[in-house]
Amino acid sequence: MKLFSRYNRINIAATIFIFAIGSVAFYFVLQYVLIRQLDETLRSEQQEVIEYVTAHDQLPEIQNTKHQWITVEKAIVPIPKTNPVRVWQKNSREDEMEPVRLLVFSVSAANQLYKVSVYKSENETEDLLKLIILVTVAMIGLILLFNYLINRRLITRIWQPFYHTIDKIRDYQLTAQNPLSLSKEPIDEINLLNDSLNSMTQRIHQDYSALRSFSENASHEMQTPLAVIRSKVESLLQDAEGNPKNVQQLLVIEDATLKLSRLHQSLLLLTKLGNRQFILNESVDLTQIIEHKLQEREELFHSKELKMIRSLDPVTLSFHQHLAEILVGNLLNNVIRYTPNGGDISIRLNHELLSVTNTAAHGALQSDRVFERFYKAENTQDGTGLGLAIIKEICHLAGFTITYRYTDNRHEFTIYFK
Amino acid sequence: MKLLIIEDEASLNQSIVDFLTAAGYLCESVSNYREAVEKIEVYDYDCIILDIMLPDGSGLALLKQLKEDQKTDGVIIISAKGALEDKIEGLQLGADDYLTKPFHLSELSVRISAIIRRKSFKGQSLMHIGEISIDTIGKTVKVKEQEVELTQKEFQLLLFLTVNKNRVLSKNAIAQHLWGDDMDFAANYDFIYSHIKNLRKKLMAAGSEDCIRSIYGEGYKMQFA
Repeated sequence: MKLFSRYNRINIAATIFIFAIGSVAFYFVLQYVLIRQLDETLRSEQQEVIEYVTAHDQLPEIQNTKHQWITVEKAIVPIPKTNPVRVWQKNSREDEMEPVRLLVFSVSAANQLYKVSVYKSENETEDLLKLIILVTVAMIGLILLFNYLINRRLITRIWQPFYHTIDKIRDYQLTAQNPLSLSKEPIDEINLLNDSLNSMTQRIHQDYSALRSFSENASHEMQTPLAVIRSKVESLLQDAEGNPKNVQQLLVIEDATLKLSRLHQSLLLLTKLGNRQFILNESVDLTQIIEHKLQEREELFHSKELKMIRSLDPVTLSFHQHLAEILVGNLLNNVIRYTPNGGDISIRLNHELLSVTNTAAHGALQSDRVFERFYKAENTQDGTGLGLAIIKEICHLAGFTITYRYTDNRHEFTIYFK
Repeated sequence: MKLLIIEDEASLNQSIVDFLTAAGYLCESVSNYREAVEKIEVYDYDCIILDIMLPDGSGLALLKQLKEDQKTDGVIIISAKGALEDKIEGLQLGADDYLTKPFHLSELSVRISAIIRRKSFKGQSLMHIGEISIDTIGKTVKVKEQEVELTQKEFQLLLFLTVNKNRVLSKNAIAQHLWGDDMDFAANYDFIYSHIKNLRKKLMAAGSEDCIRSIYGEGYKMQFA
C-alpha cells in the first residue's frame, strides 16, 4: 500500500470518527438548547396567564395557534409546580403522533380553581434540528472530499522527487563508471535522503573500485612471476633433452605452474562474478555454443571412448556470451573428466532447462557440498575444484537454478532457466 | 625480421629475447614506457611485443601513439590482465593479437610469425622447410610439388612445429595451441599423439624426410638432418 493511501485512510477514518462524535454531541447540545428555549416560551406563557389572572381575576381569552395551544379545565385541588414534560399527541391534520411540550399549572380566578395546560409542538424544533444536522453533515462531506482531493494532488506532487530518486537508484549499476548523483530538492527530507544516498553510493563506489583494481593488480602481480617461471622452464626443457629425469621434473613444474595459473584465473573470475562485474544483456545462442564446445572436445570424447546422446532445441537467452561459454565449457570439462572410459554422456537443452548427465565412476557426490569451492570428491586429485563453484555463481548471477541429482549410477546436473 | 620487446619484468624480457633470437629474429628490448616511445618514434619494427602494464605508463597509450604516427608495425599485446574488456580494448586500439600471461614462448613465436605474414604484402604467405612448402593463405601443403591433404588440426600442428623448428614443444603447449585455453585435458594427451602420427605418415608418404621427432616424455620437435 502506498504511504499516501495509508496516511489518507488513517486520516479519513480519524476525521470521520471525530466528526461523528462531534455531530452526535452537537445534536444533543442543540436539542437541549432548543428544548430549553421551548420551555422558556411555555413558562413565559404561564407567566402571562398568571399575571392576567392576578390583574383581572378572570381567565384570559385564549388564542390557539397551530404550534401552541392552551386548554383550561376546572380543577379541585391545586397542582404543584412542575417542569414542562414531553407528551405525544395526535397531529392536528394528520393522524400521526407528534411530540409536544406540555406545562401544567393551576390558577384560581373568581374563586374557581383551574388547571391550565400549555402545549407547544416540538415539530418546529425538530425541523430546525434536522436542517442544522443536514447542513453539518453536508459540510463534513465536503470537507472530507476536498481534503482528499487536495491531499492527492499535493502529495503526488510533493512526492515526485522521491519517486525520481527511487527510479535513479533502480537504474543504478555498480559497474557503471559514475557514482549516483542525485540533485538538490526543495524539500528537506528528500534532500536528506538524496544526500545520504549520494554519499553512500560514493563510498560503495570507492570500495568497489578499490576491490576491483586490487583483484586486477593482484592478477598482474601473480601472473607475471608465473610467466617468468614458465618461460624459464621452457628454456630449460630445450636444454634438458636426453636427460629424462630432469625433463620429468621440469614437466612437473610446468604442470604445477599451469595449474596455479588456472586456479588463479578461476578465483579472479569468481571474484568478478561476486562483484557483479558482468552485465547480462547480450542475446546468446546457447545451442550454438554447446555445439561449438562439443566439437572442440570431440577428440577428448573419442580418446575416452565416451558415447554421447544429445537433444538440443534451438535456444536463445538474454545472457553474456563469454559467461555462457565458460558455463558450457566447465560443464563439459567436468563431465569429460569424471566419466570413466567407455561411459556415456547425455545433454538435453530446451527452453526450460539444460541438463547434463553422465555415468558415475565412484557413486554419488555429496549433493549439499558439490557446488562448494574446492570441494573434491574422494578418489579425485586433479582439477581445481572450482569448476562447479563457477557454474553455480554464473547461474546465480543469471537467476538460473542448478541442481545435482544422482540416479541409477548417473550424475545429473540440471540448470533451470527460470 | 626486427622485433621490439617491451616488458618491464627483466627476467621474462630476457627469456623472450633469448627464445625469439634463437628463432631467428633480430630482437631489441626495452623495459619502460619512455624508452619504448623513443624506439618506436625512430625505428620501424615488423612486430612489437607489448606489455600493457608498464611502470611509467600504459601500453595502450603506446598503441595510440603508433596509430597517430601512422606506423604499420604489427603489435601483439602480452598482459597479465585476462579480462575480456582489456582484450577488446587492446584489439580496438589496433593491436593485432592479445596473449594472456603466462603463455608458452612457442605460442608467442607462432603468433608473431602469423602477424608478420599477415602484414607483409610481398607474397610472404609461402613457408619452406626441408622439402615441405606451406601456403599459409591457401592452407595447402606440398612436398616436392606434390600436394598433401591435411586436416585443419594437422595443418595447424605442422605450422606450429615449423615456426618452432629445432625446439622441443611440450604436449601441453601443443594442446593449448590447437585446442585453446579453456579445455581441461586432465593430463590426457593421447589424441595429440594420433595427430602427430597421422601428420608424420602423410608427409612421409609424399616423400618427405621423417622430420618430426618424438622426445621421450617431453614432446615433439621438428628437425631436419
